[in-house]
Order: sequence, then C-alpha cells, then structure tokens
Amino acid sequence: MEYIYSVLILIGIYTIMAASFNLIIGYGGLISIAHPIFFALAAYASALLNLRLGVPIPLAILIGALFSAGMSVMLSLPSLRVSGDYLLIASIGFQLGFIEVIKNIEFAGAASGLTGIGSLYSGPTRSLAFTVTVLVAAAAVVWLVHWLTHGEYGRAIQAMRDDEECFASLGRNAMAIKITIFAVGSGLAGLAGALYAHYFQFLSPEQFGIVQSALILTMVVVGGMGTTLGPIVGALLLTALPQAITFLNMPPSVMAPVQGMLYTGLVLVFLFVRPAGLVGKKAGQ
Amino acid sequence: MFDLPVLLQILWTSVATSTCYVLFAVAFALTLKVAQVWNFVQAGTMGLAFYAMFAAMLGWGWPHPAGFAFGLGIAVAVSMAVEVWGYRVLRRRRSSALLLFIFAIVVAEFIAYLLSLVFGTEPQSLTKSLTSEVYLVGGVAISSWDLNALAVTAAACAALFAFLRFTRQGQFLYAVADNGDLAELYGISANRAYLIAMVIAAALVSVGVYLYGTRASMIPNAPLELMLLAVIATILGGIGSLVGAGVAAVFLSVLQSASILVIPSQWQSSLTYFVLFAVILFFPTGFRVPAWLRRR
Amino acid sequence: MSAAAIRVVDVRKHFGGIVVAENINLEISAGEILGLIGPNGAGKTTLFNLISGIHAPDGGEIFFRDQALSRLSVYRRARLGIARTWQNIRLFPTLSVLDNLLMGPRHYPGEALFAALFQPGARRAAAHAAQARAEAVLARIGLEGARDKTPGELPFGQQKLVGLARTLMNDGEVLLLDEPMAGVEGQVYETIKQVVRDEAAAGRAVCVVEHNVSFIRDLCTRAVFMFNGRIEQSGTVEELLASDKLAELYFGGKK
Repeated sequence: MEYIYSVLILIGIYTIMAASFNLIIGYGGLISIAHPIFFALAAYASALLNLRLGVPIPLAILIGALFSAGMSVMLSLPSLRVSGDYLLIASIGFQLGFIEVIKNIEFAGAASGLTGIGSLYSGPTRSLAFTVTVLVAAAAVVWLVHWLTHGEYGRAIQAMRDDEECFASLGRNAMAIKITIFAVGSGLAGLAGALYAHYFQFLSPEQFGIVQSALILTMVVVGGMGTTLGPIVGALLLTALPQAITFLNMPPSVMAPVQGMLYTGLVLVFLFVRPAGLVGKKAGQ
Repeated sequence: MFDLPVLLQILWTSVATSTCYVLFAVAFALTLKVAQVWNFVQAGTMGLAFYAMFAAMLGWGWPHPAGFAFGLGIAVAVSMAVEVWGYRVLRRRRSSALLLFIFAIVVAEFIAYLLSLVFGTEPQSLTKSLTSEVYLVGGVAISSWDLNALAVTAAACAALFAFLRFTRQGQFLYAVADNGDLAELYGISANRAYLIAMVIAAALVSVGVYLYGTRASMIPNAPLELMLLAVIATILGGIGSLVGAGVAAVFLSVLQSASILVIPSQWQSSLTYFVLFAVILFFPTGFRVPAWLRRR
Repeated sequence: MSAAAIRVVDVRKHFGGIVVAENINLEISAGEILGLIGPNGAGKTTLFNLISGIHAPDGGEIFFRDQALSRLSVYRRARLGIARTWQNIRLFPTLSVLDNLLMGPRHYPGEALFAALFQPGARRAAAHAAQARAEAVLARIGLEGARDKTPGELPFGQQKLVGLARTLMNDGEVLLLDEPMAGVEGQVYETIKQVVRDEAAAGRAVCVVEHNVSFIRDLCTRAVFMFNGRIEQSGTVEELLASDKLAELYFGGKK
C-alpha cells in the first residue's frame, strides 16, 4: 500500500513538473533544460529553512516556490534580452553548473545529499494525507495552467508566438510575458520540489540531473505540447514506464542508460512521427 | 605561487591543451555560421568518434592511424545521417527553432546514454600511458604531445582556411552562410553546403577528440561539458567568426588553467559555468575585437 | 512646442556598406495626410521601421511631439500612440478577426498578470470596453460578419481591412500606413480611402506609402519623394506630380 502511495505521489509531482514545463515550452515557446534545477532550488530552500531555521513547513514550501520563481528571473532576464537561443544555452549551463556547485556546498549536504528533512505530515495516515495533498495540488496546477493559457492572457501568448515583432508594434511587451511565464512555470516546479523534499525526506544532486530533464521533456512531447491534458498523460505514462522497467531486474549500471535511451528515443520518435503528441491534434485534423 | 617558471609552465600547458577546444569550438562555430543551427549533436559526434577509436585501438588492437580513420569515418557518417534524416527533414517541414533544438539536444543525450550502456562510465583513454617525452626548455616542461597537438591543430585550421578561402565549395559555404535564399538563386545548393559544413565539423571534432583522448580520459557524459566550452567560445568570439571562436577557445582554456592559482580546486569545475553566465551577461554579441583584427 | 506629431531630423541608416537612408528630414503633422512615394527600394518602408523602432538610426533623431524616440523600444513607441500597418499585413493567423483587433489597443487589460489576479473587476470593465470598440470598428469597415473567422478564411482585400482596423484600435496620434491600397479595388478601396480621410479629419497625423497616383492625388495634401534612400523632393502633391525630375527617376523618362 505504501508503494502505491509513493507511485501516486510521484505521478502527482511529475504532473506538476510536466504541466509547468509545458507552460514554458509548449505555450511560451521558451526552451530551457534547467527545469529540474528550479525543482531542486525550492526543495533545498524549503528543506533547509525548516531544518536549520525552524520555519514551519507549509511556509517553507511557499518560500521555496517563490525562491525558484525569483531565481528563474536571474536566468531568463539576461538571456532573453539577447534572444531565445541564449536562454537554452544559459539553461544548459544552469543545469550542469548547479549540480557542480551544490556538490561543494556542505550545509546542503554536498554530494552525499541532505537527509533528515522534516515531513509535512506525521502519524499513521501520513502517506494518505500526502497523496491527497499532492494530487489536489497537481489538479490545481493543471487547472491554473489551463486558465492562464485560455483567457485573454492566453490570447496574448498565442499572438506573441504567431508574430512577435508585430505583437510588439501593437504595444505589447513580449519580454515581460516571457519572463512571467518562465517565473510561473519555475515557481510551480519549485512547489513540486518542496513537496517532494518533505515527503521523501532526502535530497541529493543525482535527483536533478540531465536524466530528469530528459524525462520531463519526454513527458511533455509525448503527452502533447501546448495541450492541457498532455502533461497528465505524459506523467502517467512515464512514471509507469520506469516502474515497469525495474521489474526487468537489470543491474543499476544498465538501467540508468536504458531509461535515458528510452526517454530520448521516445522524444525522437514522436518528433518525427507524431509531433503533436498523444493528446494533441494530428496535423491536418 | 606567482613565480615566473610556474606561470610560464601554466601558460604553455594551457595553450597546448587548448588545441582540442579550438577544434571543437571552430567546428561548432562553422555549423552555426553556415547552417544557422546550434548543433548540439556535435557532443554526440564527439562521443561516438572517441569510443569508436577506443574500440578500434584498445579493443581490437589496431594501430593509431587506422583507429583514427575508423573514428573519423563513424563521425562523418553519423553527421551526414543527422543532417540528411534529421535537420533536413525538420527544415523541410518548416519546424520551429524549438523543435530543432529539442532534436539536437535529444540526439546528443541519446548517444551519451548509448555509449554509457555499451562502454560503461569508467574513464577511458586512447593510449595505455598518457605520458610522452618531455623536453625542458628554459625551465618549462614541453612534451612531445604538446608539440604534436599544436602542429596538428595548426595544420587542421590552415587546411580549413585554405578550403574556405580558395576553393569554390568553400566560397559557397560563405555565400550560404550570408544569405541562403540568395545563394540558391545563383545555383548554389544550400542543402549541400549544410552537409559539407557538418562533414568538416565532424572531421575537426575527430581530430580534437583524438588529441584529447591521448592526453586525458573520457567518460560518456564528458562531450556535453566539453561542448559547453565550445559554445561559450563561439559566443565570446562573436557569432559568425571562426577565428574568434578559436581565439576565444584558447583564452578560455588559459583562464581555466590559470584559475588554479586563485581558486580552490573544488570550485575549478564550476568555473566554466560562471564564465558562461558572465559571457551571456556582458558579452552576448562577442568580445569587441579591434576592427583591423576582425576580418571575417 | 512643436506642431508636428512626428519629426525626423537628419536621420541616416546603413546596413553593412549599403546606405538605405541618408539625410532624411521630414515632419508629419496632426490632421494631414502625408504621401510617401518613390520606386521600390527607395527606403520608404525602412523609414517606417525607423519611426516605429524596428531599426535604430545610425545618425540623427526622431521625435514624437517633443520626445526623442531613440531610447524607446518598439512596444513603448506603440504605447505612445504610433501605430503602423505592414506591406504583408501580418495578422495573427491562429486568432480570430475579433481577437486580432483586441490585440490592438495600446493598453491591454488582460496583459498584466497582477491585474488579472487582483483587480478582476477593473480588468473585466476594460475588457468589455475594448470589445465594444472592436465591434464598432468592425462595423465601420463593414466586416461584422467576419468577427469569428480566422484571417486565412478571408479574401485578401478583407484581410487588409482587418489590418487597418487593428491599427485603428491603437487610438493614437500617428498612423503609418504601408501601401494600404496595394492589391485592393472596388468597395474595399473606397472603404480604406474613407477611413484614412476620417482619421486625418479626427486630428491624427497620417503618413501613407503608396504607388497609386490617384490615391495620392485624392487624399494627400503634401508628399515626399524618396529615391535611393534620399528625399529628392517634398512639397504639395501638385508640385511633385508636375516635376520632370521626379518623372525621370520614377518612370525612367518623361511622362
């Protein structure tokens, strides 16, 4: 039963990650591979605020998410000033660099990881409470992304994607919209990270590497970029798949690369065969 | 800590080791200039070339020239396949830059996973012993690897320059880099130019990877990090400038080595990333080179 | 205080070695329709790009009223009230006609996330007002029926009308129209002509790039002739059309 709760919680957390990444890349058209880092920033921030400074966990989670959103501006503002290509490059640096940096920071547990993180709930119904919380949060995030992308704001985002120069000539500030979308998406990733930290109570740099980046990208591409339900489908599928792979009983040194190849392979297949993803409309429909 | 022989040694060694980075940077800059694509697949090509050479030389016991040729062949073949079945298809479909990026990054990652599956994550080199003959010149240790690397890199760059400057195909590359549509009107095939650029890049990268592999060891994830330096060098040198990319690569390599003098060793590996951010923040359009130096 | 809405002073622009604008001086005043004529490649659209901020001049300055525009980005200039159309229309293909128009107002209520989250009442009121205006503009150009169609579903002439309508939504002082008559005829032609006349009469400063001589003659009071990036002649429309030098440059020989 505990196992099922863990899987459900993971599905919920990955749904938040996929939905928020979809906001950034599917709707905003911004390419970044550093999404796991904003997950990590809030996870560490929330864990440490609670562990070292005694901040109550719900507040720590909120601060963590806001911290991620704020840090994302540090990444998006200087790079988008130049062009969208630079955001990608800066995000590669951010993704690879943060891992290096965190390995050197002792009070965050360095390379061996941060243990003994506080738990949001305690007692016999802990797992159930967590599961409900995370799934409700996931539903709320999906709804939030949908609301954001389907009202007036969504119309502006679409126009910006259609023709940014013309968009600007009408008096619209494209930069502000992009930075806002990036911040909201990163903040939501932070929410997922903080929830993760206070359930699993252990953080280490391996948890937010390139593999996780590839996994989230796969969820979004396979599920369907720029759709509301795509991220859910993607998260479900790609949380279930690794579970299925573990049943094949491969040694860990084989399993990690196989997982990686599976995720990236899926993205490539979908890119060429069905770019709209599972949920998206096939071109011409 | 700051005495002259040490400084000279660091300077010499870092310039010598910069040779690989120069090749990686120029290759990346070339594909960016001609095909206007941020060719992250290059990281995959680098890995494949290295491990192909590794398999041939240390696995099957081939002599180095044969092993190198094998790696070169694999690199070129993969680059051509990526261009013809990947980029060209996506271009024909008028795919957005977003999809092209995703494609490039994902192919590079796929190759990295494949290599770690087949070869494991233990560091590997192309020679059993990484030391070579050393000569002492005025207190500075100069190894024969250093000399070979400098000579080979200089020759490769000279060959590239000659090709671009003096052959018709080379000039076509510049025409397409400048204005693909206009070049097409004059009967120059843009697709062919993209393919040639990719092949040349694969060749440069094979040489670079050979040099790197005979001096240090490689793991499947290393190319992605090596590429980062190439990307920084391309931006710092000014997009569109091959010479700029090469010079910037040397500069960054020297910077990385010289940083030992001022930064604790545990932060060494993080340095590249800080430099990346500094470049994006302060020199996104390249370091301003005085006009008389800037030709292309 | 200057009467001119737009003042271009000693502007020059070059791309690489090619000079596309040299020694440009002109003024567009409120209530007038200035014609900008000249052969293709003369630099007319470049001038529009310089005024709207797509390009930055290499020399000289452009003023809106008494404000120098050089430090302002494209979207800020539009918010000052400088609106323009494009030669290739550039409607947003995935948005309906009405939504295209709703992108036009200078201050867009739904854009600020803060307002969306914390001032829903004010935002809703502004959105209703914008929608009412958009529908009024559609009625004015006779395209109420097209409000929910996408641009791809409309014939070329109607797309041009929508592009013009979108510019009207800016409700600003300056209207820069890049070849509004190219490729249109009949009812659409008359509608555009009437709209341009009405806008100038309402006090806006209008500048029109056009090749259509009868349009220039009907509508413009003053005109400027550009050739190879320079202003060759400026004055009343009659003066320009009577000029031999102009005829030679434009048509390559006497009329």
